[in-house]
Amino acid sequence: MFKDLNPILHSQLRLAVVSILISVKEAEFTYLREKTESTAGNLSVQINKLKEAGYIDVEKTFKDNYPQTVCKITPQGVQAFEEYVKDLQAYLNIKK
Amino acid sequence: MEKGKEMTGQESLELISRMINSARKDYYETGVSSLLWGSIITICSMVTFANYYLRWPGLEYVWFLTLAAVVPQIVISIREKKNRGFRTHDEDLMSGIWISFGISMFILSWVMAYMNVQMQPPIYMVVYGIPTFTVGYGRRFRPMVIGGIACWVLALCAVYASFPYVMLYMAAAAQLAWFIPGLILRKRYLKAKAQ
Repeated sequence: MFKDLNPILHSQLRLAVVSILISVKEAEFTYLREKTESTAGNLSVQINKLKEAGYIDVEKTFKDNYPQTVCKITPQGVQAFEEYVKDLQAYLNIKK
Repeated sequence: MEKGKEMTGQESLELISRMINSARKDYYETGVSSLLWGSIITICSMVTFANYYLRWPGLEYVWFLTLAAVVPQIVISIREKKNRGFRTHDEDLMSGIWISFGISMFILSWVMAYMNVQMQPPIYMVVYGIPTFTVGYGRRFRPMVIGGIACWVLALCAVYASFPYVMLYMAAAAQLAWFIPGLILRKRYLKAKAQ
């Protein structure tokens, strides 16, 4: 039997954000918005959910007098992502 | 990206792969720094070579261009970092390699001038090969690996060349290590940006 897929990650926008953050060391909010083609409001909500789950760190600073949000995946986030991919692969194999 | 859309397992895998590939495309360096240093070293070497015959006063100071080029290099680095919106895992390591190379070159120039070392170009070429090969090897970018090896081979050959012909080896090293890889990087970057 396959494990239930992690509900935090099994959401289109949150999975997209985590997939990007897995590939880079850290990314700005504007970069994530551009890559995921999402709205600022929706992205902000999903980032907060990932932060509450402990999967990402969010740092708010100022750059050239403008607020800047930088996101970074945590070790817990990396582990959750790896488990999610493993579960997904197991799920797909069973379905085949 | 749609809000709250239920994904199938296959769609999830496709999304992960699409996002990772999309971020990877942005890794491409602009190639501007490589082109800058490839051009500067080539120009300085060729001017030194030509000036052996021309004997124009003041042209022996052409190598001060390398010091002047540090300013645009800093501006380029800051601007590129600012416009990218993300940091890669190996960014600090790569910056460290190039900064240590710059400092080593500066100290080496001073030490060799102080010790009155003759035939300095082969020594410089050996040092050029170190960061070029390391970065090319680390990033799996073959043109830079070849460029690094070319620097070492040219350094060995340059030992047997006399002045001013040794400057032609130096120009070739700059072309192979930085200018040509810079052109390839630039082409890749512009292609990725256009997609």
